[in-house]
Formats: sequence, C-alpha cells, structure tokens
Amino acid sequence: MAGSETRRQAILEAMVRVVGRKGYKATSVADVIEEADVSRTTFYKHFEDKHECFLAAYDLVVERVLGEVIDSCDPTAPWLERIRAGLATVVEMFALDPELARTAIVEVAAAGADARQRHWDAVTRVTEFLADGEQLAEGRELPANIGLMAAGAVSGLIFDELLTGRAERLPELLPDLLFALLVPYIGPGAATEEMRRAAAG
Amino acid sequence: MERGRGGDRWRPPRGRHRLPPQVVARSQRERLLEAAVRVVAEKGYGAMTIGDLTKQAGVSRTTFYELFDDKERCFLAAYDNAVEVLVRRVMAAYEAPGEWPERAAAGLAALLEVLAEEPELARLSLVDIGNAGPAAQRRYRAAVQRLTPLFEEGRDYAPGGRGLPANTSRMAIGGVTGLIADELVAGRAERLPDLLSDVFFATLVPYIGPDAAAREVERLTR
Repeated sequence: MAGSETRRQAILEAMVRVVGRKGYKATSVADVIEEADVSRTTFYKHFEDKHECFLAAYDLVVERVLGEVIDSCDPTAPWLERIRAGLATVVEMFALDPELARTAIVEVAAAGADARQRHWDAVTRVTEFLADGEQLAEGRELPANIGLMAAGAVSGLIFDELLTGRAERLPELLPDLLFALLVPYIGPGAATEEMRRAAAG
Repeated sequence: MERGRGGDRWRPPRGRHRLPPQVVARSQRERLLEAAVRVVAEKGYGAMTIGDLTKQAGVSRTTFYELFDDKERCFLAAYDNAVEVLVRRVMAAYEAPGEWPERAAAGLAALLEVLAEEPELARLSLVDIGNAGPAAQRRYRAAVQRLTPLFEEGRDYAPGGRGLPANTSRMAIGGVTGLIADELVAGRAERLPDLLSDVFFATLVPYIGPDAAAREVERLTR
C-alpha cells in the first residue's frame, strides 16, 4: 500500500497535469483526485483546498526545473557554457512536457498573487543562477534589477509560445532566448554572436 | 478598502431632481464602469454578478439593463475605456519631437503614471491575468501591439539594428513587464513612477547595450 508521502506526491503530480491541460480556473479538486486515483478524504488530509495544493505543486515544479538546470551545468564551466546548457535544458523540458510548461509559465498567472509571486521568484532564481552577474558585467555597474529584466524577457517569449500552443517549437527559439538573457549584460553585438553560434548548433 | 476616486465623485442627488436624464445616465454609466473594473480585480471575471455591479455602483438593476446588455459588455466597456486612455496618453507622450531615447523615456514615464493611477487595471492586465477573462486578455494583447512602435523604433536608432533578432521588441516588452509586475505583486503600484530608470534601461538595452543604455538613463531620467 502506498505511503502517505507517496499519495501526497501523486496528488501534486496530478495537479500539475490537470492544470496544464484544463487551466487553473477550470480545475476542480474532483479532477485532481480522479487523476491521482486517491480519495477526497486523502486529498483533504494533505491540503486545505485547491489553491494550497496548487502552490505546493508549483514549488515541486520549480524544484524539478531548477534541479535539472543545475544538473545540466558543469559548475566549473565558463558562465556562457552554463547559460547555454541551462537554457537548453529548460527549453527541452518544456517542449517534452507541455503540460508542465503551461502550469509553470501560463496558468500560474491565473492562480492569484501569491502564486504569481512564486513564479517571479523562481524565474529570477533561474536567471541569476545562469547569469553569474559579476562575471557577466565585466566591471560595469548594472541596474540591481537586471536579473528581473532578463527573466522577464525570456519568460515573456516562452509565455507567448505556450499561449499559442507551440510548446514543441520552443527549441527553435533557443537562439533568441539566449540573446534575450545575455543582452542586458553583454550588449547586442556580443549577444548576436552567441545567438548565431547557437543557431549554427 | 476605500478607494477614493470613485467615492469622491459627484453624484446626482437621490430622489426627485431636475437634472437632465442624459446627465444622470452618464454618471450612472461611469459608476458602473468603475465598479466593473473593481469587482473583476477583486473576485475575478467569472465570479462577478450583476448584483455586485449594481451594489458597488449604487444603481438599480433596471438602470443596469438600460445601459448594458449583460455583465460582459459592461466590464469590456470599462476595460476598453481604460486601455484606450492608457494607449493614448503613452503614445501622445512618445510622439513628441526628439530622438528615440527622449521619446521612449517620455512614453514610459506616461505609462508608469497611468498604471500608478489605475492600479486595478494594472493588476488585472499584468498580474491577475486569470481574473480578467479571455476577452480582456485579447484586448490587452492588442494594446501591447499598439505600444510596440515605442520599442521597435530602437531598431532604426541602433547602429546594428537590422541584425537584431525579429523578437527584440518582445524581449524589451517582456523586460519592462517583468519589472512592473514585480512591483505590482509587491503591492507598490503607487511607486511605479520610481521605476522609470530601470524600465528605460530594459527598453534600451537590447538595442544599444548596457553601456549606452546606462548613459541614456543617466542623461534622461536622473
């Protein structure tokens, strides 16, 4: 018999799937327990309501994506290598799992201000991890908010693709995403070079 | 929460009065429009009822139906109004004489001012997007389209502009949106105008790079 923690995990996974498929607003607790194959009692043993469950599921998604990004990056590699590898990992994950991607980037916007806050925190964490500010800036004094600008540019582009149902085309966008992430730090000339290299494979 | 703007507005006296009927109707319509943005911002488009609107606006249900066919028409009229004001003010500031950085700075300053004055509209468009409903989301996207020239002109201004990715204006808009949304999520709508230098930097940087962007920020927004 599955343990309590396993069932909790199954509920969170189900929440990510159902929200990615139906959208946050249309998702009900009934949908989630059906997908997870658990009883309503089990659901409410673990979570107060749909919203609380979604926030926990969102944290899970963030840790998973960040975990993959960190695993894909050799910490001793130059920052540019890390950025390229990390961004490629995010894009591949999203392309392979559009439900996860929609939950992570699009539907989170429908789940209230605290979910939205988690989204921005996560995007900023990813960006700052990838773009090691000091190395990138080369002694320039850059705005404190620069990570957020880069994050906004990248997540805006991904958002538009997902909203129009083109998750599988995200890998084609990788060169542009790389440009968007790098340009606040290194400027359009150098970022265009990197974009061309990425496009050439 | 008391939100002054609507509350302080002059209302026709209750009961029998001699105001021309079109004046009364106009004021009732405006109150309903304001109520619609407020109610949707609070509870979401899906949950809004006509009862919520008539109560907030202090008008009767009969009056509501004299002015609007249904709640969707009322909310979308409100949203369209607000977006129209925003786009016009931003573009009027942007279309002043001068070079791109000057005009972009003026347009962005106007954008931040309008959003600070209309925090509910700002949150509805940029943060609680799910609350707005699909029709308002389409209108938001159309409004962003109309603002795109403010960003895209950077391509003509920048020395290597033609070689930039086709998505450059979307990146700039994403950077600006990220900054504004972050401030709204933190509940600091009234401080949006202070973001001008960062928002301006985010607009310039994909076109002219961090060094030139920092110089323009220093020159035009400090």
